[in-house]
Amino acid sequence: MKFAVRGSFALFIVLTQPAFSAEVNGTLSSRLDFYPDRTSGTASEGRSAELKIDAFHDFGESRIVGEFIARGDQKDSGRRITEARQAYVRTPLAGFDFFLGNRQEFWGKTESKNVVDVINQSDAAANEGKSAKLGAPSISAERYLDIGDLQLWYISGFREKTFNDSDAHPSSGLPLNSADYARNNAKTADDYAARLSSFAGNWDLAGSVFYGTARNPILTVADDGSALNPYYALQKSIGLEAQYTGDVTLLKWESLHGTQSSLYGNHDFSAAVAGVEYTFYGPFDTIWDIGLIGEIQHDDRPQAAANQFGVAGIRMVFNDIADSNMLFLASTDRKADQSFISFEASRRINNYSSVKLNSQFYNARSSTASFSTLSDDDAVTLTLNMFF
Amino acid sequence: MKIVTVTLFAAIASSMFTPWAFASAEKGLEIAIEADSRDKGFGNSTSQMTMILMDKYGQSTERAIRNRTFEGDNEGDKSLVIFDSPGDVRGTAFLSHTKKAEPDDQWLYLPALKRVKRIASSNKAGPFMGSEFSYEDIASQEIEKYSYNYLRDETLNGLDCFVVEYDPVDPKSGYKRQIVWMDKAEYRVHKIDFYDRKDTLLKTLTYEDYNQYMNKFWRSNRLVMINHLTGKKTELVFADWEFQTELTEQDFEKSALKRMR
Repeated sequence: MKFAVRGSFALFIVLTQPAFSAEVNGTLSSRLDFYPDRTSGTASEGRSAELKIDAFHDFGESRIVGEFIARGDQKDSGRRITEARQAYVRTPLAGFDFFLGNRQEFWGKTESKNVVDVINQSDAAANEGKSAKLGAPSISAERYLDIGDLQLWYISGFREKTFNDSDAHPSSGLPLNSADYARNNAKTADDYAARLSSFAGNWDLAGSVFYGTARNPILTVADDGSALNPYYALQKSIGLEAQYTGDVTLLKWESLHGTQSSLYGNHDFSAAVAGVEYTFYGPFDTIWDIGLIGEIQHDDRPQAAANQFGVAGIRMVFNDIADSNMLFLASTDRKADQSFISFEASRRINNYSSVKLNSQFYNARSSTASFSTLSDDDAVTLTLNMFF
Repeated sequence: MKIVTVTLFAAIASSMFTPWAFASAEKGLEIAIEADSRDKGFGNSTSQMTMILMDKYGQSTERAIRNRTFEGDNEGDKSLVIFDSPGDVRGTAFLSHTKKAEPDDQWLYLPALKRVKRIASSNKAGPFMGSEFSYEDIASQEIEKYSYNYLRDETLNGLDCFVVEYDPVDPKSGYKRQIVWMDKAEYRVHKIDFYDRKDTLLKTLTYEDYNQYMNKFWRSNRLVMINHLTGKKTELVFADWEFQTELTEQDFEKSALKRMR
């Protein structure tokens, strides 16, 4: 792993040398967080900044790609990171495209949760949604076949999920002990995955397999109640994805079925998300698009906040020069014991900057609900992005 | 009243099916087919595009876009649009597989998520990137997507032109009809008037600065779309046209989207 990190930053230095003539772009983000429901002893606000550098250089039929993140936070050390989210060489060989190095990949179809998205570990402490991932140090190969796109993955070693500090937000309020693993070789154990994706007519379909360490740890409270113990299980799973694209209606499905091996034995599990998105194009004589989203989540793994959540949302795209858009999502578990509401809106200020407003609200009716530990973590976030 | 209605219907029907009506529809289709056939064989093409959006007060903002097109054989063309600016959409790519009769297949690549997302193509009338061009304006123009009606000959900017009415077949089109001015010598489009579903003149598109490539293929380097209702204007300025490059059909598959940049 150390070698991979050193190699990644050597690549960063090479890509950003003027003589190398790589195409280099960057984003500088400044972020303010407010926590209106904070409890005493936790942060009332947060200030952080993030620099992202994207670079690539072509040589022959090959390409070097880099995406480097440096994030600083005034108080929350969990959010601080220097990360080669992507740092790889891509080259064609024997009909395949081979990728060597840190890579970020997305698998999935649905909006509220992607249970089949297993390649990367989540940079959850960033609290920036699905795009915040840790690069997967890997060798991967892709080939376009008549029946679809084939991906083969070997992921070298495991990266732990990032968490916010115990006095930051969102957090259970307890610090984390060192992680335990189901696999003997723990963080050095390798993962394997493959996926075939295709489309026919209105249908986009994909199937995948995964053998490796589960990305989400099982969190248990230590005997003395002073900390959380993260435990990473061994996961063997099959993923299925489908999307039907109609005129104005999208039907989406993704599911993950398999076995988790842990301290507690081997347990079969299933996780699935089924959803529909209906869009009104140009309603009320406007140029807006208004999308209605409905999804049902099922997840019977111990890592899930609840077995079932129902999600409803509205997406508004104003189709203006500033590319203004809003997304509102509300989810509740089957017993209505806990709920989560998020609202995000963004618009471009000019060609070199944009602004984004995010807010998240947690609600738990009972002390046994998973969100009961997050009730002081409601947040309103303002982010200014500058592009160069 | 019944007799009057029947008589009126008979009069309308007879006028619709006169030899003149057939002739104008037939001639309109012939012109469209000839224009299409003159552009056959380009294989694939690439170009750089600057989109300049202007509001009614003359304030403007620009977008930088790369275009790639792959000529279809039995089906329509495949096109790929890659955004280089503004910064917040840099690296976003839009892939469209145009179909002659069915709705197009369209995917969007979102670089922050590394996600390829299939999107519905029924939003034909929606604005493309906040511009005065709609998705159907920038889509590949296939013969089967319209019915035609030759209207008249007319001189435009000193050029002898056919004036042909294009009526979109798809009821989801934002237009009731388009009036197209095409020169008789080279079958190049010089002007289009777009009429909305209420048959009001909505927009006018003019094509300027034509250049010929490979002794066959004409491309306009400046398209100007004026919205008569809002007073807004969008210009598309093209440069660096290349034809029959090393691009293959695989470069226009959805799996290739995440490798575009």
